[in-house]
Amino acid sequence: MNELFSELKQAIIDGDEDIVEELSQKVIDESINPVDAVQEGLIKGIEVVGELWKAGEVFLPDVMMSAEAMKVGLGLLEPEIAKLGMSEGESKGKIVLGTVEGDIHDIGKNITGAMFTAAGYKVFDIGTDIKAEDFVLKAQEVGADIIGASALLTTTMSAQKQIIDYLIEHNLKDQFKVFIGGGPTSQAYADEIGADGWAESADEAVALADRMLAK
Amino acid sequence: MLPKYNVLTEEQVLIIHNESIKILEEIGMDFEYEPALKVFRDQGLKVEGNRVHFTREFIEGKVKLAPAEFTLHARNPEHNLVCGGENIIYMPGYGAPFIQLADGTRRKSTMQDYENIVKLAGASKNLHMTGGTVAEPQDIPDEIRHLKMIYSSIKNSDKCFMGSAEGRERAQDSIEMAALLFGGKDVIKEKPVLISLINSLTPLKFDERMLGALMAYAEAGQAVVVASLVMAGSTGPAALVGTLALQNAEVLAGIALAQSINPGTPVVYGSTSALSDMRTGSLSIGSPETALFISASAQIARFYGVPSRSGGGLNDSKIVDAQAGYESMMTLMAASVTGINFVLHTAGILQYFMAISYEKFMMDDEMAGMLLHYLKGFNFDEDGLAYDAIAKVGPGGHFLTQKHTRKNHKKEFRTPQLSDRAAFDAWSKEKLDTNQRAHKQWQEVLANYVPPALDENIDKKLLEFIAQRS
Ligand code: B12
Repeated sequence: MNELFSELKQAIIDGDEDIVEELSQKVIDESINPVDAVQEGLIKGIEVVGELWKAGEVFLPDVMMSAEAMKVGLGLLEPEIAKLGMSEGESKGKIVLGTVEGDIHDIGKNITGAMFTAAGYKVFDIGTDIKAEDFVLKAQEVGADIIGASALLTTTMSAQKQIIDYLIEHNLKDQFKVFIGGGPTSQAYADEIGADGWAESADEAVALADRMLAK
Repeated sequence: MLPKYNVLTEEQVLIIHNESIKILEEIGMDFEYEPALKVFRDQGLKVEGNRVHFTREFIEGKVKLAPAEFTLHARNPEHNLVCGGENIIYMPGYGAPFIQLADGTRRKSTMQDYENIVKLAGASKNLHMTGGTVAEPQDIPDEIRHLKMIYSSIKNSDKCFMGSAEGRERAQDSIEMAALLFGGKDVIKEKPVLISLINSLTPLKFDERMLGALMAYAEAGQAVVVASLVMAGSTGPAALVGTLALQNAEVLAGIALAQSINPGTPVVYGSTSALSDMRTGSLSIGSPETALFISASAQIARFYGVPSRSGGGLNDSKIVDAQAGYESMMTLMAASVTGINFVLHTAGILQYFMAISYEKFMMDDEMAGMLLHYLKGFNFDEDGLAYDAIAKVGPGGHFLTQKHTRKNHKKEFRTPQLSDRAAFDAWSKEKLDTNQRAHKQWQEVLANYVPPALDENIDKKLLEFIAQRS
């Protein structure tokens, strides 16, 4: 059985979603403990990738493919865990991530999502051109810790503020931490609109979340 | 003029063309704008939802309708520009939201910056037009930015400038203002005065705003640059040829749309394709791969018989330093020697399009001057061969006191504007580096610049139009 977990771990490291899918299905078919498969297989694998990334030994496509493979594995095993009434164990935090309304730039957001996944967070990527309300609804639905909003245009930065305004308006501001990012944004702008966090790069965003959620 | 340098064989160009046709036929492209879909449907193409499937005959036939060159008219006819052929047109950077200052800090750009850069481009001997969105004026509300920018371009220089590409309505506003300046829409329909930047949404899409603008300009007979920015590795494959084929498919589809709306619409084949850095994900525009994309684009456009746009003083540096200089020279030179006709982003760009710097602007202006001189190539007439002078001086001796030298050096040598050629001790008195010299220089140029007078009547009409649209 340990053999299967180490194969899962390796498939995550290799970023091979086909093999992850196959092995996860095997876990289900053979009634192996899915929580162990997640903890000993998937998460162990993504931890290795995170370390390799920090050490500068792998490139973006490596991390992003591992994050994708992770998603595939979780997509199969999580429903199984729920079905069995088991608990998955704590993730470091949940983050709802999207690009704001009027903006379709998504590369930076995708990278940020992958880095959060590689760091052990659960990421809910809701896509591009997303209304303030939809960020918040998704965050409520999944019980997110962080709402992450990306904006690449000076004309769409105001939509990041709209998310915060929406939260204030609905008395939800203290339920979520709002992180903003994207080329034209800055710490000064984050302060101005009352965002909880800003980061210039995906790595820094993860480090910031680690600090903030540890409190 | 130096002959243009090719980086692909004829066979390789054909391979890229055929790959693009395969992409357009078999995969197709999404157009998120009903009026554009209607045009394609009317042309008999297969349209499913937003997906348009092209045919080789359609694409090749339409691209043939695009003119090989066209004249862009300026307020001052001396500044009219021929776009295409052997010509090269340099202009400032486009769209940057920040100004990088000489002291290393960065701030938001403003309307004042826009005006300053138009003036610097107006004053430049090396920049042929003043461009568009030379700085993103963040202090002006979004809804009226385009009006203020066009007005500033008209008022502060009499060189050619660009129209807004932010949707049909803003394109229409640009056209109205140009018509007021040039004496009516019929006049400008015959003589294009505006050129605008229409970008695809890589991979394989065009959005509503860009298509709306493209259609408005095509209908009004104004020129458009149809450009694709593939980030190889993220929005495109991590392969140079595949990236070119993808870019080419998008640009061909855009050109075909413009020609379907108004056959003969002046179009420019545009490329800003570059790399995604595989560590940070950042766009990397100061790379050798970008220089290859630029060079290949010039040649591919030549193959289709349309003018090309690419290159510029492109770099990934954060400040005006050696990296900014060497990367910019590589990409500006690649564009210049391979025959790019329309060089957006020639001057001012830093930080992969995120910032404009005044100091970088002056440095690029110098590089543009150097390259214009380089492109002139060699002079083979009697003065150029200089046999008489050589004979007169004979073995030993020197040429410094020759009449030929006194006269001819002014023709054949270029005097630098910014570069320092002084002796070490002379330089040591102030020890100014390029950044510091450029900082002084742009302030002097601005202080001495007198914008060419604008007819009071036209000025009034333009201001009235802006007031009415605000
Ligand atoms: C690629 C690109 C495009 C592609 C986008 C493809 C895609 N799938 O994303 C296309 C061609 C479609 C495009 C379209 C447009 N673009 Co564009 N684009 C760019 C470009 C060149 C690169 C963006 C990019 O991906 N960078 C790489 C990524 C990795 O960086 P990043 O997004 O900043 O992300 C990092 C950090 O910011 C951070 N981060 C990002 N998100 C988040 C979120 C959180 C929560 C946190 C904490 C951190 C974080 O982490 C990331 C990784 O480290 C930029 C210029 C630039 N250099 O950034 C222009 C740029 C942003 N675009 C610009 C413009 C104007 C446009 C258009 C309006 C059309 C046009 N004229 O080109 C349209 C707008 C479409 C729309 N409605 O959104 C301007 C914006 C100017 C302004 N005033 O704001 C820029 C600056 C270029 C310019 N100088 O003109 N664009």
